[in-house]
Amino acid sequence: MTFSQIRKAGLLATAIAALMASPALAKVTVLGWPGGPEETALRAAADAYNAKADVAENDKVELLFFNRDGFWDKLQADLAAGSTAFDVNLLATYSIGRYAPFMEPVELSGEAESVYGEAVLKTMQFEGKQYGVPTDLSLHFMYYRKDLIDALLNDDAAKARYGEISEKLLGKKLEPKDPDAWDWDDYAATALYFTQSVNPDSPTRYGTVLQIKNLLFNIMVWQSLPRAYGGDWMDAEGKVTVNSDAYRKGLETYKLLYDNGATPRDSLSYEFPEANAAYASGQVAAMLQWNAAASDLTSTEKSPAVAEVTETVAPPSGPEGRFTHIHGLGFGLNKNAANKEGGMKFLQWLSSKEAALTYARNNGAPALTPEVVKEVSEERPDLVQLGEFAGKYGYVMTGGTSAKALSVYELQAKEFTGYWSGQQSLDDALANTEKGMAELLK
Amino acid sequence: MTTTSPSVRTSEFRLLATPLVLFLLVFLGFPAIVNLVYSVSQVSFETLRSPQLSGFSNFAAVWNDAAFWRSVWFSLRFGVLTALLECGLGLFLAIFLSPLIVKRSWLLAILMLPLMVAPALVGLMYRLVLHEFVGPVPYYLWTWFGAGVSFLGPGSAFWTLVTVETLQWTPFALLLFYMAYQAIPADIGEAAAIDGAGPLRRLWRIELPLMAPTIVAALLIRFIDGFRVFDNVYVLTGSGPGGATASLSIYIYEAFFKQGAIGKAVAASVLLFAASFAVLYGLNALATRRKGAAA
Repeated sequence: MTFSQIRKAGLLATAIAALMASPALAKVTVLGWPGGPEETALRAAADAYNAKADVAENDKVELLFFNRDGFWDKLQADLAAGSTAFDVNLLATYSIGRYAPFMEPVELSGEAESVYGEAVLKTMQFEGKQYGVPTDLSLHFMYYRKDLIDALLNDDAAKARYGEISEKLLGKKLEPKDPDAWDWDDYAATALYFTQSVNPDSPTRYGTVLQIKNLLFNIMVWQSLPRAYGGDWMDAEGKVTVNSDAYRKGLETYKLLYDNGATPRDSLSYEFPEANAAYASGQVAAMLQWNAAASDLTSTEKSPAVAEVTETVAPPSGPEGRFTHIHGLGFGLNKNAANKEGGMKFLQWLSSKEAALTYARNNGAPALTPEVVKEVSEERPDLVQLGEFAGKYGYVMTGGTSAKALSVYELQAKEFTGYWSGQQSLDDALANTEKGMAELLK
Repeated sequence: MTTTSPSVRTSEFRLLATPLVLFLLVFLGFPAIVNLVYSVSQVSFETLRSPQLSGFSNFAAVWNDAAFWRSVWFSLRFGVLTALLECGLGLFLAIFLSPLIVKRSWLLAILMLPLMVAPALVGLMYRLVLHEFVGPVPYYLWTWFGAGVSFLGPGSAFWTLVTVETLQWTPFALLLFYMAYQAIPADIGEAAAIDGAGPLRRLWRIELPLMAPTIVAALLIRFIDGFRVFDNVYVLTGSGPGGATASLSIYIYEAFFKQGAIGKAVAASVLLFAASFAVLYGLNALATRRKGAAA
């Protein structure tokens, strides 16, 4: 081979490499939340965006998914390393403070406020700047078996038995109520009544299913209980306040249910899918769970044993009111995006009414204003409830969007599951949590 | 015939070794130095490129952390128990099934199947298999005995994890022991039989001593694998309630990613490295001394 031939071959190889590399740079790569309704909705939204005539070939969207396990850790590592593998990435209310240094504030479409409302847009803000489009709002529903509750409410002998059980195990005689009127003691009493090891006549094996694996998301599900008794992470002066009667009440209630067998013994290894599987088996009477489970648990194909008898209400109340934890998932712009301009265009479209309705019609869970949700209320009645509960009962713990919020949840998950499993006392769990949180949030 | 002078040989050796040395410096040396710096620094994801030196506070934090010692104890117990169980079972199966495998070698391929599954997938599989409302094991226990068994509860999680690990990796020990068993010259056994040694005596006095190096190697490999366990434990139970099933690898992972305590996580890694180096150095010295004594 002559030098000239070698040079020609080299030039050809360089040209081929450049051709192969250029399309990847031109696309907008979006990193999404995998394996759930959010993925389905994002795929539909991306398809709709790519089909638009005014979207340039270079700005078409390609989707990228990690595994859910350790998703936020991998994202953290990628963002901190200055990754250019994605232009737009998933963002959550509780992680904005952590990722903001590696992201660009975004400019939403003019319609955004009328589509989502100011409160929902705030779930994607940090230090006054908008970092994302709030595509999915997550909160909690109390799922319950209407057939079982109706039977209980219409049977005097059952009511008497309910009173005996509540007096024996909760220290006060309670009467069954409609789930929409439950306080947390009513929930506990109902869970105990429908537990076969407590009440051998119960039609279900367990009264409830608690998801209490050592996992941060499980603390989010649980914490509406102490919140209803006035619990918060910090007071106005920034002092950690978890070592309180409210947290004590919340922890003791779960411990009582676990120790009395009102939830499966393996609940300490349960998270979202395990709890859903338990409820869908027909052997559980009520469960506090993410709203994302609604479509599966009310689908006769996916949950034939319970779909037609399952109803949802907001979580029970306490002396300080009725609360549900809320947080938003959304999409923001990577500071090191290879196609920043294309990413920004996609985000602007994603915050429009057209995109929000496409997302809603394809299993997504955007919290839409009453005027907008009307357009999908027939196909997605759950979104009406979602918007209503978020507005009436939604809360974020003080410090819940800070850079260390995820670490606080992790700490609580470790300490509180240690108490529920009997490995440490309640006093130790609360003292350790208080000490750790003071260190994290200082 | 030409001879190469020592200086030329040295130059050639240096030239040939250069790529390997460069590779080791880039892929092992650089991360090791960065880790050593991080282990004595206050560092977070935001300050990865500008860590602040902080002395040995990270080491002190790890040393005084009860969770660290609990994870060390978990890993030690898990490593020792799984190594003993896998090697014990593997040895028994290798000898017991040997006549069968010799005639039907495809059996060995079937016995090796668990090795083909990724540990994380094994964890996922058992999450389903052991789930009270989905898994076949709890279903039949409930149907036949009316009992709900907690496989992953606080009292049983450790033993469930040991069982899952043993089921997956016993075939590895079986394979090693079967090969070692087959490599024993038949005439030794025949001579012993002629001298009146029965099967058990031959096993105890001849076959097991000849397999001893393989047994020691298998125990060591399986202990190391068990000690550093992560995937299937993390998928099945996470770090467990209150951190009850946190192995040392999980402790380091959680300190790094979950708590963002990068310095602390790296300090724990350095301690683990130092301990591993001391153990391996000790074993190597012991082996060298025994070899010298035997010579």
